[in-house]
Amino acid sequence: MHHPGSDPIKSTTLFSKESLNRLGLWTFSFLLTVSSFYRGEAVDFSTDVIPILERHCYECHNENKSKASLRLDITDGWSLGGDSGEPLIRAGQPGSSLLIQRITHSDPSERMPPEGEGLSSKEIETIQGWIRDGASLPKGGASENSFYQTDHWAFQPIQRPDVPSATSKSTQHPIDAFVAARQEDMELSFSKEADRFSLLRRLSLLMKGIPPTPEELLRFQTDRDPFAWDRWVDMTLSHPQYGEKWARHWLDVVRYADSNGFETNRERKTAWHYRDYVINAFNTDKPYDRFVHEQLAGDFFGEEAATGFLVAGPVDIVKSPDISLTLMQRQNELDDMINTTSTAFLGLTVGCARCHTHKFDPIHQKEYYGLQAIFAGVEHGERPLQKNLPADQKRKIEELQSQLTDLESEINRWKEKSTTSVKPVQSGTRPPVNARLNEETFEPVDAQAVRFTVLASTSGEPCMDELEIYDLMDLNVALSSLGTTASASGTLPGYAIHQLKHIHDGKHGNQHSWISNSAGSGWVQIDFPSTRTIQKIIWSRDRNEEFTDRLPTRYFIEAKTPASDWIRIADSENRIPHNGKPDPNAFLSLLSKEDRDQAESLLRQREELKSNIQRVSRTEMVWAGKFHQPEPTHRLYRGDPMQKREAVPPGTLQVIRPVSMASNEPEQTRRVKLAEWITAHDNPLTARVMVNRIWNYVFGRGIVGTPSDFGANGLPPTHPELLDWLADEFIRSGWSVKHIQRLILTSHTFRQSSQPNATGLAKDAEGLYLWRFTPRRLSAEPIRDSILATSGVLDPRMGGPGFYLLDVQVENVMHYFPKETFGPPEFRRMVYMSRIRQEQDAIFGAFDCPDGNQVIPNRSRSNTPIQALNLFNSPFIQQQSNILAERLRAACGEEMNDQISQAFLLLHAKMPDEIEIQMSKDLIQSEGLESFCRALYNSSRFLFVF
Amino acid sequence: MKRLPRKLHPLLDRRQFLSHSGTALSGMALTHLLRRDGLLAAGNDVLSGKVSPLRPGIDPAHPNAPRHPHFPARARQVLMIFCSGAVSQLDTFDYKPELWRRHGQPMPGGKDLITFQGEQGDLAKSPWTFRPRGQSGKMISDLVPRLGGMADDLCFIHSLTSETNTHGPGENFMCTGFTLDGFPSIGAWTTYALGSETESLPAYVAIPDPRGTPQSSVNCWGPGFLPAAFQGTDFNATNPLRNLHPPAGITPKQDLKTRSFLTKLNRHQMQEYPGDSELAARISSYELAASMQLSVPEISDLSAEPRHILKMYGADAAGNSTQDLKAAYARNCILARRLVEKGVRFVQLFNGAYQTGGEGVSNWDGHKALEKQYKIHGEILDQSTAALLTDLKQRGLLENTLVVWCTEFGRMPTFQKGASGRDHNPKGFTAFMTGAGVKAPFSYGATDPFGYQAVENVVTTHDFHATLLHLLGLDHERLSYYHNGIERRLTNVEGRVITDVLG
Repeated sequence: MHHPGSDPIKSTTLFSKESLNRLGLWTFSFLLTVSSFYRGEAVDFSTDVIPILERHCYECHNENKSKASLRLDITDGWSLGGDSGEPLIRAGQPGSSLLIQRITHSDPSERMPPEGEGLSSKEIETIQGWIRDGASLPKGGASENSFYQTDHWAFQPIQRPDVPSATSKSTQHPIDAFVAARQEDMELSFSKEADRFSLLRRLSLLMKGIPPTPEELLRFQTDRDPFAWDRWVDMTLSHPQYGEKWARHWLDVVRYADSNGFETNRERKTAWHYRDYVINAFNTDKPYDRFVHEQLAGDFFGEEAATGFLVAGPVDIVKSPDISLTLMQRQNELDDMINTTSTAFLGLTVGCARCHTHKFDPIHQKEYYGLQAIFAGVEHGERPLQKNLPADQKRKIEELQSQLTDLESEINRWKEKSTTSVKPVQSGTRPPVNARLNEETFEPVDAQAVRFTVLASTSGEPCMDELEIYDLMDLNVALSSLGTTASASGTLPGYAIHQLKHIHDGKHGNQHSWISNSAGSGWVQIDFPSTRTIQKIIWSRDRNEEFTDRLPTRYFIEAKTPASDWIRIADSENRIPHNGKPDPNAFLSLLSKEDRDQAESLLRQREELKSNIQRVSRTEMVWAGKFHQPEPTHRLYRGDPMQKREAVPPGTLQVIRPVSMASNEPEQTRRVKLAEWITAHDNPLTARVMVNRIWNYVFGRGIVGTPSDFGANGLPPTHPELLDWLADEFIRSGWSVKHIQRLILTSHTFRQSSQPNATGLAKDAEGLYLWRFTPRRLSAEPIRDSILATSGVLDPRMGGPGFYLLDVQVENVMHYFPKETFGPPEFRRMVYMSRIRQEQDAIFGAFDCPDGNQVIPNRSRSNTPIQALNLFNSPFIQQQSNILAERLRAACGEEMNDQISQAFLLLHAKMPDEIEIQMSKDLIQSEGLESFCRALYNSSRFLFVF
Repeated sequence: MKRLPRKLHPLLDRRQFLSHSGTALSGMALTHLLRRDGLLAAGNDVLSGKVSPLRPGIDPAHPNAPRHPHFPARARQVLMIFCSGAVSQLDTFDYKPELWRRHGQPMPGGKDLITFQGEQGDLAKSPWTFRPRGQSGKMISDLVPRLGGMADDLCFIHSLTSETNTHGPGENFMCTGFTLDGFPSIGAWTTYALGSETESLPAYVAIPDPRGTPQSSVNCWGPGFLPAAFQGTDFNATNPLRNLHPPAGITPKQDLKTRSFLTKLNRHQMQEYPGDSELAARISSYELAASMQLSVPEISDLSAEPRHILKMYGADAAGNSTQDLKAAYARNCILARRLVEKGVRFVQLFNGAYQTGGEGVSNWDGHKALEKQYKIHGEILDQSTAALLTDLKQRGLLENTLVVWCTEFGRMPTFQKGASGRDHNPKGFTAFMTGAGVKAPFSYGATDPFGYQAVENVVTTHDFHATLLHLLGLDHERLSYYHNGIERRLTNVEGRVITDVLG
């Protein structure tokens, strides 16, 4: 950013423009200094290298042209390199320096310069020599900041402009004064104020997402208070439905959905906590700077669910054994976090710098990886929602947790001992466990019950599809059909295909399996109705050979004998170790028998303690990410994770006064510092971006037409002074969203009529200069919510788990089918619909409803025949038409005139005129009230905000 | 600073609409738009050699009205046949005699290869015999003999590559040019650029397999961030278009009267809003819907098809579950032909699904029991698809229609360790084209002697897409849409037209 008072760029160049124009005059002051270092054969940059650059390079890589964003006329250019983000030179290593590679490239299309003979071998040797000598560049010849100096408007400080003086009564409101000033330039003028019915409908639809009731309309019309409008604005903003409407806008910006996306597309049953957090934030007018802080680091600020922001995006849970693909998946996850954070808060498309330095904005590739380092410790997933627990329960958990810490350090001592143990490794002889079938044989034993305890698994919570126990007749006596009962440490909740009863149902495969509820551990037990003599056990993960994950690798099996309680009858000890993923408990095999027994008992205690903690905390989980201290982040050449370059410490963008972080900065602190940087008062973007979003959602177009791109590739503001005034007002008000909304809603700009006039359409058809309130189609959610509200069945219940407009078929890969019938469970507001990525609601999805795969700063508004078919023919609309007809009858009896007036008030916020009454009567008389309602739900007046 | 200015009306450019509409306002509005275009032109100068976007002029009231391509097109329509689950090139169209010679031996260099599901077993010849087909003598396997019979009409690309070896991302990549979800499909790009030849049918129809949708489901025909007007409409011969008919209990008279009331009411109420294009578009959408209600059932009604056509496609197959599926797929093929016939711009016909059976069961994902599973899939695919191509040809439809057969990636020349099937392989696989603008018979590019990796004239999926767009008269670098700070393209920042395959 160009700080006022900083030196102009010229003084920082290696060569002034003149020097480039007049070759030979480049030898200015620093040459004298540098030449004093001249020693023997050493190559000097100024005397030896620059003339070569002048001959071959400067024509394209200078201040004016900078092809591939590379400048060779400033020292910054040398250190930053060009689009590839690669440094141009590696001091002392000519062979690995990009500059040498490019001027000596064997492929003519890659070789620099692209035209002509190229450099002579003598010239190449000279440059090689200079690099070999350390590639010293003249000191004082460059500024560190020149790359970041920009005159782009969005990076300039917010300056509160004076409000233009009012020219008439209608422009006393500051917003109107700014808008009127621009209209004057364009020879446009405001339209007259809209009528009160239209005004209230507009206010209600835009701020609450549902139309006003007839009672509200009549009350407002007869409200003679001179401040009536201000009061109605306040009432509307303080209604809880306000938060439900505005949260949906924010959820678009942060690509929120309730499933993982990609092929498995599993549900995130606890993601809704974040959705509720956002609704509540709007309703309580949470200061926006606080809102930013909590979404980035709510774990620090006591708002656990807020970090749902970080992990609201899609994630591919199918990992490939091919490491490069798996690393790329992780890169995509992090890119999603960087991209969402930078577009949502800053209106900057930082994601462009993933593979190369940004083409339009001053964002270097290494800064992208600085941001990546901030998020590098964030993983998709659930964590316990702590804050809802009562204090005594929290204390209990803390107590157990400290026990766990002690236990873990004791286990670690055993691990250390194992590495120093002199005892040779006793490797087993039985075949390693496999997913398909495992057999355990033992001396016949009388048993009342058998327990299978898992100590480790290849991944996740262990899974078994069947446990068979054979008696002396080789009969499987474990089968539930023989009267046995099963119990377990726990079962993964929520899956019809993974249940305890499946462990002994005689059915095989993942579809009929049991999964423990604890990663890498758990036990399952079969109790016989009477004592059995058993001699063999067969168990498997997936006998249908589809799945190999979750396979128990370390386990022991015990029998409860009538004589002596539990005895061990088999275990994994004498098996050849499974060659899958590393077993965290592999150290056990290095210990002596006695030590192993002790260590195993500790491990068992640990598992018990863990499940104990889980039970005591009874914590609600929340899809809000998991955090760990990350490994160092590296810049990746062309964004390729297999081409690691130098390590990059966590950091913010240089173009805005940056915040410094240590390379080993604690993970959480990174995110806290990022939030501080984003909301710093001198950050010129954050406030501008948010007030523009508010403006955009009110008027259908922002002052900046590209709400998530304030960079050089975005559109410039139509009203730059107004934008700055609002941004400043926003910060001064303590970042109050409602304050800005109140300002907008009380302006004449908002309150004017939506009717077009010839002058306005001719000069400004798009309404950029706000000469009317431009009508527009409502988006999917307000349409559906308005239908339910006007038919009278809208369920106002707020928050909690979402409802479904899809039927869910639970499998490894989830499948979703549109519901065909709807009832009260589906009559909540659409913000509470479980939003499944890729799967749109069958009726309203067609209304440009985003599915959460991409951030959506602005929904498109198309009008398509499929929308018309859905709205005209779907059973849902028929049902709602019938309910509305009943409502009209209940309110008005069979008096047709009243029914018609009531319907028009409800759906159109207007009294019908003579023509409307007559055509409505004709239809009702011949086709019934229901048909009339069906038509009204499809009318433009109902579907648009005017 | 460099800048790419653009228009940002929610439904794109109104210029065409305004210039063609007869309202008194249009002349004035045009002035306004042309002035903005002047700004656009000024912006283009600083693009330093980069091509500027060509934005289609879209009338919001008729978003799928036909539009001109960037340059004269070889093909006007596209039929894309997509086989979900990754068809093995080595058991169909990519003949590798080396696999017979080295059957049962390890693949040189293959020992340490870890592919999608893990370790490799030995090289495995195809269970099907390859024979020379047609005049050209192209070697094609007995798994697809009837398609083989069409060899002289086909243009094969044997050196396709993908960026991923996972089905969902792979299907996304082939259908949208990105492995991630949420990007516009190739059909959406095509209809965004060109509209359609018919307004009484959806411009872009996706025909899912009778067994369900592919792994990436609707993302394969999604609009991404393009307006919903360009979304593929999915229906097939088994499951008709949703909400096409009035709900139960509504009589035709009731329906008609309600509709005409709606039209009258809208017109009456919108008198106060002359010249508002978004409101005009709303009214127009109901008129288009009404014409679809007539033409979609008509096109889906196959009863008018003569018996010999049904028989040629295999729509009369019956007797067991495979034959029933074959008949259902055959009906989808007939539907595809009828849609092409009526001028639908982009038809995407799917073979294989994931909803009714995972790995290999109802799709081409033959990991473990390839021979057993492919026998069924070949039986379903071959006759009907070949009949579809024949039928299109005999009706002269291939003159203007480009047919593309593809899949998300290929499979390994080895069997998986301990199994009788092939693992995923994105390093080299086969697609074919036929019809308008395509050189045939022709084979382009090649994999190594084992069919593992593309080694000659390697074609990326971006190149493939660039070529398809080129045949439609579209410059893949200039067909772009501004989204969230980036000019997005089907081909991302890559892609080159494979001129060798152009006829």
